[in-house]
Amino acid sequence: MNVIIDGQSFEFEPGDLLLQFCLDRGIEIPHFCYHPALSVPANCRQCLVQAGLPARDRATGDLVRDENGKPVVNYFPKPQTSCSLELSDGMVVHTQYDSEEVAAMQADNLELMLINHPLDCPICDQAGECPLQIQAYKYGPEGSRFEFEKVHKPKRVQLGPNVVLDAERCINCTRCTRFTTEVSKSHQLSIIGRGDTNYPMTAPGQVFDDPYSMNVCDICPVGALTEDYFRFKARVWEMSSTPSVSDFGGKGINVDYWVRDNHILRIIPRENLSVNEYWMPDAARLVYERYNENRPQGPTLAGNASDWEAAYDEVANILKAANGKVVFLGSAYATVEDNYLLMKLAEAVGADAPQYISRIQVGSGDNWLISDDPAPNTQGCERLGMNPLDPVLLKAKLAGGEIDVLYVLEEDPIAAGVLSADDLLGIKVILHHYHTTNETLAHADVALPAAMCVETIGTYVNETGRAQRLRPAKMIRSMNRSLMMEAGVGQSRTDRHGTPFDRWYNEDHQIDCQPGWEVLPAIAERLGAPMSYKSPAAIMAEVAEANPAFSGATHKAMDLLGVALQDIGEPV
Amino acid sequence: MTQPFNGSLLRPDFVPGEPVERHFSDVELVWTDDEQKQIATFRSQYPTNDGAVMKVLWLAQNKFSWLPPEVVQFVADTIEVPYAKVYGVATFYTQYYKEKKGTYVLDVCTCFGCQVCGGYDILHYLEDKLGISKGETTADGLFTIQEVECLGACGSAPMLQVTNGPYVHNLTKEKVDALIDDLKEGKMPAFESVTLPQDETDLGGNRRSDTELVTEYQTPPVSETLH
Ligand code: SF4
Ligand code: FES
Ligand code: FES
Repeated sequence: MNVIIDGQSFEFEPGDLLLQFCLDRGIEIPHFCYHPALSVPANCRQCLVQAGLPARDRATGDLVRDENGKPVVNYFPKPQTSCSLELSDGMVVHTQYDSEEVAAMQADNLELMLINHPLDCPICDQAGECPLQIQAYKYGPEGSRFEFEKVHKPKRVQLGPNVVLDAERCINCTRCTRFTTEVSKSHQLSIIGRGDTNYPMTAPGQVFDDPYSMNVCDICPVGALTEDYFRFKARVWEMSSTPSVSDFGGKGINVDYWVRDNHILRIIPRENLSVNEYWMPDAARLVYERYNENRPQGPTLAGNASDWEAAYDEVANILKAANGKVVFLGSAYATVEDNYLLMKLAEAVGADAPQYISRIQVGSGDNWLISDDPAPNTQGCERLGMNPLDPVLLKAKLAGGEIDVLYVLEEDPIAAGVLSADDLLGIKVILHHYHTTNETLAHADVALPAAMCVETIGTYVNETGRAQRLRPAKMIRSMNRSLMMEAGVGQSRTDRHGTPFDRWYNEDHQIDCQPGWEVLPAIAERLGAPMSYKSPAAIMAEVAEANPAFSGATHKAMDLLGVALQDIGEPV
Repeated sequence: MTQPFNGSLLRPDFVPGEPVERHFSDVELVWTDDEQKQIATFRSQYPTNDGAVMKVLWLAQNKFSWLPPEVVQFVADTIEVPYAKVYGVATFYTQYYKEKKGTYVLDVCTCFGCQVCGGYDILHYLEDKLGISKGETTADGLFTIQEVECLGACGSAPMLQVTNGPYVHNLTKEKVDALIDDLKEGKMPAFESVTLPQDETDLGGNRRSDTELVTEYQTPPVSETLH
């Protein structure tokens, strides 16, 4: 079946809606209320097009042709909202590209929409990424003929703990209320009032504390709904955004990290229909500070600042002296690549294979995007063949003098409740850590600040067995070649337009830490067991090649949406 | 003419999550057996409970005389429709009273048709006469004035409606005076049918046969401010 859009013929499937059909093919039609995951109310009227069907002779069913032999089109008497218009065979459509009349209608609609809109873009957080602003520029009128005072509505309404409403900016598209009705099903928002004074609101006495509340800020096409934590923090054009994966739990939520001057300021969901669709829970956004705060600067030896070379030497000496009496702990927070290298290091020093600390708590999730597993890469560890740690056994070994050294990759066994400070008496501890608040840190003989998921390159495997790729969203002190190359793609840099000479530039925002795939080979080298990989991608290529549980999961193949791995059954 | 700046529009009626004042106790918030039967009938008339929201709100307003939040929530719980949704419906219609009103609610139409025919003249006359502004209630609790949108009687503009009941058509200042005097004596205006020009030929003068009071169509006046 065929449809003709602006003179060009396309094939379509029955049931296709015109607006989505056009958007999928790069034909932009301005729109506000339509969202692919929500019902289609066609209330904003912005997506108007002219459409018609070929005239047919009633008796014969043949196409009616004009004197030049061209089929005659019966246009619908009124313009149609393309979002709700189902395609049918032979339909002829004229968008604003093709029809001045359609362009004029769209401009008029924007003029109407802007009558009561405050146009406070200079102080609005949405400016720069605002569908209303963008589409008003592209398709709107030059100015307004409306010269009366605008209607005033409530501003700065704290709808709930995480969402603030500016009702004057609202264009009543109902995306937010449809989200709470159809997607999160909390039913907490409703449009109240009528006409030019209506806006979305909770019922009296109720609060918008939906655990997924901030998704309405993402889908609001204006600046009416904003995230409380991000209000007035930064203009979007001052930030870079990097497509990556959240380390919040086992779902592997796809996100964009928004960064200014190497601080993560905002985390928003990135569309991946196989994982999180368009959504993420509030809790997964509110972790943004953990990437900025309490971060260690540079390695320490028994609590004293050191440099990386000296730290590597010290680790190598400790491991050599231990003669294989080492326990290695992998991590469900570290990447597949880093855990894999740790396994190789353990093998090189003759120790048992690393184990990881499982954090899964059955029933703690919500059966949607909050997982029972707070760690992002448990499946990655399992697929590498690591087993969950048995704390009782480890304690016994430590107490029995079988162990001289504990090597911990990006974990905190004391905070996890696996070990106590007493267990570590007389044990040499080597620790890759993210935070100065790491409770095991006080007992570390060598502490190696580790790059977090927002600073490294690597792979997480989510609980359904989907391998997904991390990209560096912010710079660390020592950007090596791999990070630099990847940063070019992911756009992470001091700031997209900033330089170290900017007034607000702060060198301390760059953490003096290292990714595991930088540290582990440096140590292995000193132990006479060199691991030479050109990049994390090369490490993953080797894993994907050698281990069927990772088959196909190269960095290239994972790209932006990840790769579904072969099922290996429930982790044990 | 610009509307006076209404400061109260800048504040919502409540802050989300903060407790709201209650006017009816749990003991009062119960349906009688009869009402329950009625509600069951309403529910059976629609494929989903959403359909029954308006009728049950109406029932509640007749019972409690107005719809404070706890009554709206009571309705929502009764028919198992989300509270926010029912509240959205209740706030959409001026006919549902979200505040306590006077005995007589005078809904003066100032929508386009009435506006050009003097809807605002009537509204302002009434405000001056009763010494209150639209949205307010007289100290004796007798009258509330509301400014409303089109009530569908533009042919006999300007017009008003009394307490969601009878319409008063073809308003003049004298008619307003008489209406207020009557209402003070407890006399509600009678239902009045006004013919439309086309009725004269097509329908033999009147499209309603169920009312005594039939007034012939007259050309509406023009608003004072337009002269
Ligand atoms: S607040 Fe935003 S999402 Fe909600 S109705 Fe208004 S414009 Fe739409
Ligand atoms: S997008 Fe079609 S009417 Fe809003
Ligand atoms: S405009 Fe007043 S009744 Fe229609």
